Amino acid sequence: MSLEDRPWTAFYGPSVRKEITSTHYRTIGDLIGAAAHLYGRKPAFTACLPNGMNGTLTFDQVDEMSDALAVYLREIAGLERGDRVALQMPNGLSFPIAAFAVFKAGCILVNVNPLYTSEEMAKQFEDAEPNALIIVDMFADKLPGAIKGHPIPNIIVTQVAEFLPAMPRGIVRLVQKYWDKTLHPIDLPHIRLPEALAAGRAKRAAQSIAVEEYRTDIAPDDTACLQYTGGTTGVSKAAMLSHANLIMNMEQTMEMISGVEKGKEVALTALPMYHIFAFTVNLLGFYSLGARSILIPNPRPLSNLKRAFENYKITWMSGVNTLFNGLTNEIWFQDTPPKHLKFASAGGMALQSSVAERWEEVTGKPVLEGYGLTESSPVLTFNPLGKTRANSIGIPVPSTLVRCLGEDGTPVGLGEPGELAAKGPQIMRGYWKKPDETAKTLRDGWLLTGDIATMDKDGYFRIVDRKKDMVLVSGFNVYPNEIEDCLARHPGVMEAAVIGVPDGASGEAVKAFVVPHDTALTEADIRAYCKQHLTNYKVPKTVEFRDDLPKSNVGKILRKDLRAEEIAKRDAA
Amino acid sequence: MVGPLEQAILALMIFVIMLGMGASLTPRDFVLALKRPYGLMIGVISQYGFMPLIGFLLAVSLPVPEPIKVGILIMACMPGGTTSNIFTYFSKGNLALSVLMTVTSTVFGVLLIPLVLVLYAGALDLDIPRENIIATLVLLLLPVAIGMVLRKLNANTGAVTEFMGSLLAVFFIVFLIVSWIPRNWGFLMETTWGTYFASIALGIVGITIGYLFARALRLHPRNARTVGLETGIQNGPLAIAIIAFTFAGTEAQSIMAVPVLYSLFIVIISTLVTLYFRRANTAAEQKMPDSLL
Repeated sequence: MSLEDRPWTAFYGPSVRKEITSTHYRTIGDLIGAAAHLYGRKPAFTACLPNGMNGTLTFDQVDEMSDALAVYLREIAGLERGDRVALQMPNGLSFPIAAFAVFKAGCILVNVNPLYTSEEMAKQFEDAEPNALIIVDMFADKLPGAIKGHPIPNIIVTQVAEFLPAMPRGIVRLVQKYWDKTLHPIDLPHIRLPEALAAGRAKRAAQSIAVEEYRTDIAPDDTACLQYTGGTTGVSKAAMLSHANLIMNMEQTMEMISGVEKGKEVALTALPMYHIFAFTVNLLGFYSLGARSILIPNPRPLSNLKRAFENYKITWMSGVNTLFNGLTNEIWFQDTPPKHLKFASAGGMALQSSVAERWEEVTGKPVLEGYGLTESSPVLTFNPLGKTRANSIGIPVPSTLVRCLGEDGTPVGLGEPGELAAKGPQIMRGYWKKPDETAKTLRDGWLLTGDIATMDKDGYFRIVDRKKDMVLVSGFNVYPNEIEDCLARHPGVMEAAVIGVPDGASGEAVKAFVVPHDTALTEADIRAYCKQHLTNYKVPKTVEFRDDLPKSNVGKILRKDLRAEEIAKRDAA
Repeated sequence: MVGPLEQAILALMIFVIMLGMGASLTPRDFVLALKRPYGLMIGVISQYGFMPLIGFLLAVSLPVPEPIKVGILIMACMPGGTTSNIFTYFSKGNLALSVLMTVTSTVFGVLLIPLVLVLYAGALDLDIPRENIIATLVLLLLPVAIGMVLRKLNANTGAVTEFMGSLLAVFFIVFLIVSWIPRNWGFLMETTWGTYFASIALGIVGITIGYLFARALRLHPRNARTVGLETGIQNGPLAIAIIAFTFAGTEAQSIMAVPVLYSLFIVIISTLVTLYFRRANTAAEQKMPDSLL
C-alpha cells in the first residue's frame, strides 16, 4: 500500500504529517526530561479527590522526583536494565513519578490493574517476574497471596493522597483508616515512596550520578512496557510495547488532535492510567504538550468528578462511552457543563451515536471517537475534528495502514466486511514469552485485530463486530451487534444479547437473550418485530427472557459466557 | 432555658458550620438557583402557604389550651432555620437553593409573618424583633460568603474547612439532642400529649408536604429534598425570641412550650429524614461498572 492508496490522507488537516519519519524523542526518559526543560515550573499533574482536596506537582518536580526514584531503583534496590517493575495504583501523583522513574532507570514497566484479586495478581506476577513493585497501600492486603508464586524482592508502598499538602493528606488518611477502614497493616518488608525518594536523592548527591546514563544504551526498539490484555477473552498476555511504539503512537495521535495549545491545556484524566488509552494519550501525550493533567483517583460514583469540573478549567478530556453517557445524565453536569472544554476524545469501546449526540447537545463540543488495541499502543484510527462521522471509528492515524481482510487473507472490496488488519510503527513487538500467540496475531507485520470492519471510499472505517462473535447461518454472516441494535430499539426491551448456537439445519442459528422492561413481552412479539426490520436469516430463531445478562467489570455484555451456558446446557441434555 | 454563654457558643458553632457549608459552594450554584426561581417560589409558597395552614389545622383540631394553640401558630409561621441548611447539605440536596430559601423566607418574614398570623389568629399582635432577623441573616450569609471566598482562594483550604464544618455539624446535632433532654426533663414530664403531637407533627407533615408538593411540580429530587427540609425546619430560636418579646410571665412560658419541644424533635426528625434521603440518593445514583475500562 503506497501513500496514494490511502484515501483517508485527504482528510488530514493541512499541518498534519502524513508520514512520521522520525520522532522527537529517542526514549520515554528523553521525553520526560525535555518536557521539564520546556515547561519547568508549570503545573504538570494535579490529583483531585472527590471532596476537592488536591495536590499539584510541577514539571520540574516530576522530573526531579522520578530521577530520584530511578536512582533508588538502580542503586539501592539493585535493579538492572530490562528488569520489570510492576505498578499497581489508581490515578494519583505517585503514578507519573513511578512510571517515569521506571523508564528513566531503563527498566520495563508492568501496569497492573489495582482492582485485581490476589489470584489475578499472582498470575500476572508469575508471568512478568517483576523485581520491584510500587503499590498503593489500599491494595497491599492482597500482596501475601499475590507474591506466593513469584516473590518480589522490592516493594515500595505509596498512598492515594501522596504528595498532597500535609493537612488534606492527614485528613484523607484518617478517613481511610477510621471511616472507610481501607488501610490495613502491611506485614511484608517494604519502603514508603517518600523514603525511597529521599534515599535516591541522597545517593544521587553523594555519588553525583547522572541519571541520563541509565538510558544511553537503550535502543528505541527496546521494550518499555508490558501491557496486559485479554482479560475478557481468556488467556491473559502481555503486549511488549517499545519506547518507539509508545512515542510514535503518542505523536501520531497528537497529529490528529488539532487546536491544542502547548503549555495551556487542562486535561481531565478520569480514566485509569494503567490502561493503555489514558497511558499513551494522557500520561505521555498531554505531558509532552505541557498540559496540566487533573488526575481522578476514582471516578465512581460520577459525583466524584464534580469538584474537578468546578475547580479547574478543563479544556480537554478523554473518556469511554460509559463515562460520557453517565456524565450527560448527571444533573450537576447538565447544569454546569465545562465551558472551557474544546473537545473530548473517546476510545476503549464503541461510542454510541446517541451518546455522542447527547454529549454535544449538553456541552456544545464534539466527542471524537478513536479506535485501537493494547497491541497497537493503542491508537490506530481517529475521527479528525470537524470531519467526524457518526458510528465511524474515523481514519487511520499518520504512518498507519489499515485494511479489511476476507477469510482468505486478501483485502475485501469497499464497504465489504472483513477482519481489520493494521500495520505501522505503533504495532507491538509481540507478546511476552508467547511466540505462538504472537504468530497468530502478527502476520508479516500486520496486526490482526479480530474485529470485523468495513471501509468506505473516503477511508473511514466502521466496526461491524468481533470476528469470534460472528454467527454463520446457512453460509450467511450474521453480526450480533446488528441484531442487538434492532432488539434494543424495541420499547419493551431493556437489554439484549445475541449469540450463535449449533443448529442441525443451518449449521448455526441466532439466539437472542432479552431482559424485558415489561413481563408481557413474548417470543412472538420479538420475532415479529425483528422480521419487520431484518432479513429473514438474521431473525433470532429462539428468544430467551432473563432477568440479567452476564457482564464484564467494565459493563460489556459477555457473549462468551452465554455461549458457554448454552454448551453446558446441551452437554447436560 | 438557654443562657447567654450557651447562646454564644451555639452561635459560634453555627458560624463555623456555615463556614464549612459555604466552602462547598461556588457563586455559580447561586446563579443557577436564581436563574430558575421556580424552586425558590415553590419554597416560599410551601413555607408561608402550607406551614401556617398545617399549624392552623393542628391548633384547631387538637385538644390543647389557648396558649399552646398560639405557640403552634407562631411556630408554623416562622421562616426556615439555619439547621435546614445543615440537613440539606447532609441530604445531598441543593445547598445553594436551601440558603436562598432561608434568606428569602427570613427577609419576607418581616412582612409575611404578621400577615399570615392576622389571617389565622385574627388579632394576635406580635412584636417581630428585627435584631433577631438581622442576626439570623448575618449568621447565615457572612460565614457562607467567607467559606466561598476561602474555597476560591485555595481549593484545599475550602475542602478542609468544609470537612471541619461538617464534622462540627454532626457534633452540633448530637449536642443539641443530648444536652436538651436533661435540661428540660421536668418540662418533658409535664407536657400533655396534644402539645407533643403538635410539636412532632409540624415538622414531619411540613417536610412531607413540602417534598411531595415539589415533586408534584416536577422539581428534581435533589431540589425537592431541599424544599421539604426547608419547609419543615423552622427557625425555632426566632419563635422563642418573638414570644419572649411579646408576652410575659407564665403566659410566655406556656406559649413557648411548642417552640421548645419542636426544636428538640425537629433535630431528631430531620436526622432520620436525612438518613432516608441519603439512602434514596445513593439508590438513585447511576450504576457505573467496577472500572471504566
